Amino acid sequence: MIFFTSAGLLILLSLSIPVGIVLFLLAFGIDIFFSPFPLMRGLGQVVWSSSNSGTLIAIPFFVLLGEILVRSGIARRTYSALEAWVSWLPGGLIHANIATATLFSATSGSSVATAATVASVAMPQAEKLGYDPRLFSGAIAAGGTLGIMIPPSINLIVYGFLTETSIPQLFLAGLVPGLLLALLFMCVTVIICLIKPSLGGPGVNADWSRRLTSLIDLVPLLTLFGVIVGTIYAGWATPTEAAAVGVAMAFAIAAVHRSLSREMLLASLKGTVRTSAMIMLVVIGAYVLNFVLTAAGVSRALQMFLQNLGLGALATLMVIVLMYIILGFFIETLSLMVATIPIVVPIIVELGYDKVWFGILMIILVEMALITPPVGLNLYVVQGARRSGSFSDVIVGVIPYALAMLVMVGLLIIFPIIALYLPTHL
Amino acid sequence: MQKIVSWLKSFNEWLAIAAGSLLLGSVLVTLFDIIVRQFWVSLGGTDELSGYAMAISTSWGISYALTCMAHVRIDLLRARCASKGQAIFDIIAVLALASTSIVVAYGAWPVLVRAIKYGSAANTTLETPLWIPQSLWMMGWIWFAASALIMAAASLLAFFSGRFERVNSIVGVGGER
Repeated sequence: MIFFTSAGLLILLSLSIPVGIVLFLLAFGIDIFFSPFPLMRGLGQVVWSSSNSGTLIAIPFFVLLGEILVRSGIARRTYSALEAWVSWLPGGLIHANIATATLFSATSGSSVATAATVASVAMPQAEKLGYDPRLFSGAIAAGGTLGIMIPPSINLIVYGFLTETSIPQLFLAGLVPGLLLALLFMCVTVIICLIKPSLGGPGVNADWSRRLTSLIDLVPLLTLFGVIVGTIYAGWATPTEAAAVGVAMAFAIAAVHRSLSREMLLASLKGTVRTSAMIMLVVIGAYVLNFVLTAAGVSRALQMFLQNLGLGALATLMVIVLMYIILGFFIETLSLMVATIPIVVPIIVELGYDKVWFGILMIILVEMALITPPVGLNLYVVQGARRSGSFSDVIVGVIPYALAMLVMVGLLIIFPIIALYLPTHL
Repeated sequence: MQKIVSWLKSFNEWLAIAAGSLLLGSVLVTLFDIIVRQFWVSLGGTDELSGYAMAISTSWGISYALTCMAHVRIDLLRARCASKGQAIFDIIAVLALASTSIVVAYGAWPVLVRAIKYGSAANTTLETPLWIPQSLWMMGWIWFAASALIMAAASLLAFFSGRFERVNSIVGVGGER
C-alpha cells in the first residue's frame, strides 16, 4: 500500500495533473483497491469539514494582506531605508535584498510574493551599480524563501491544520530559525565578498541623519509585524483575528501612501481568491487523502514498514531529509508539503520526534525546494524580474545560500532547541 | 466554443470578486467582534461564520483558479514536449480534473440532502440551519464541475481539429502564479 501510494503519487504528478486532483485520485484509488468498506460515501462530509474552518480562513486573510502590501508601494521605501542601514557591509546592496526579504516575510505569508516584490524593487539598482548579477539575484531568490518560515506563515498554518499541531506554537518555533537563517545568508554574503570583492558593488554611504530619518519608513511594516505576532503570542487573538487586524492595517498603509483605488481593490481581491483557491484545492485533497490513509489502516502498515527496515530513529530521519531534498528538485513547496505530510508525519511521531520541531525542519527543506532547479518557483520569479541575462545566472547565484540552508538543517537536527526554546519557554 | 470559454473566464472573474468580497466581509465581522468584546461581551459565532465564508468562497473560487490556470501542476515532463505532446498532457490533466470535480460535486449532494431531511442545525449558539451555507457551498462545487466540463470540451474540440496552441491557451500551464 505504501508502494502503491508513493508510486501513484509520482506517476500522476509527472503526468502534470493538478496536484490537488492527484491527491483526490490517490484517495479514490486506495479506497477501491485497499479498503474493506467504501470510504467515499463520506467524501462530501470530509470536503465540507475540511473547508468549513475558522482557522483556515487565516490563509486568504494573510494572502489579502500581502496583495494589498505589494500594491501599496511600501516595498520601495522599505528597501531604501534598509539600504541605508546595511549596505556598508561587504556585499553592499545584497544585504538590503536579504533584509528587505526578511522584513517583508515577517508580514506576508508567502515566499513567492516576497521574492517578486523585492526583485521588482532591487533589480534595477543592481544593473545600474554594476553588481554581479548571479550573487545579487541569488540572494533575492533565497531571501524570499524566508516568507514561509518567519511568522505569519501560510505553510505553517497548513501544516498545523493537517497534523493537528498548535499554530501559535509553530509560529513561535519558526521565529528564531528564520532570523538565524537570514543572518546565515548575510554571513555567507560577507565571506564571499571578502574573498572576491568584485562580486559585490558599492553600497550607499548613508550618514546617521539619513539612517535615522529612514527609520520612519520601517515603522509601518515593523508595527504590522509586532501587532500580528504580538497579539497571537500574548494570547489576545487567534491567528485568524490577528490576520484580520493585519488586513485593516495594510489598508491603512495603502491609504497613507495614496495607492488605494477601486482597481487596486478589485485586483487584490481577485489575486487573493486565485491564490487561496489554488492552495485550498491542494489542502482539501490532502485532507481527503489523510482521511482515507487513516481509515484504510496505513499507520499500521507504516509501523510494520519501519520495523522491517530496522533503521534507528536518526537514520530514518536522514532518509526522510534526503527524500525531501531530492523531491524538492522536482516538486514545489506547498505541494511537496501536503503530499508528504499524511505519509511522513505519522512516521516522525512514531519515531518519537516533536511535531512542532519537525514542522520547522520541513519548512527549511521545502524552502530549498523553492530554489532548486529545474522546478524552483523563486528562481523563475527572480529571472522574470530581470531584463537580461541567462537563467543559469540565478541558479549559480543561489548555490551558496542553498548550502547555508543545508547547514541550518544540520543545526536544527543537532540542536532542536533552536526551534523549541520559544514554544517551551513562553 | 471560443466565445463560451471567454464568457466563462469573465464570469468566473466576477465570481472571484464576489468570493473576495465575502472574505472581506468576514474580515469586517472578525474586526467588529474584536472591538465589541473589548467593551462588552464576545458576540460568539464569529468563528462559525468565518468557517462558512471560507467553505463558500473556496468552492466558488476554485473555478476562477481553474480558468486562470492557477492550479499547480508539475510540468517537468510536459515542458520537454513539442506543442502536440504538451496538448496531450493538458488533455489528460483537464479530463482528470473534470472527472474528479464531478465525483466531488456528486458527493456534496448527500451532505445537503441530510441537512434538509433532518433539519440539521449547527451545534452552536447561532444554531445556523446547515442547509443555508451548505447549499451555497455545494453549488460552488457543481459550478466547478460545470466549468471543468466546458474547459474539457473546448480543449478536446481544439485538440481534434489540430489546434494545439489553442489547447495550451485554454488549459495549459499558467504564466502568472
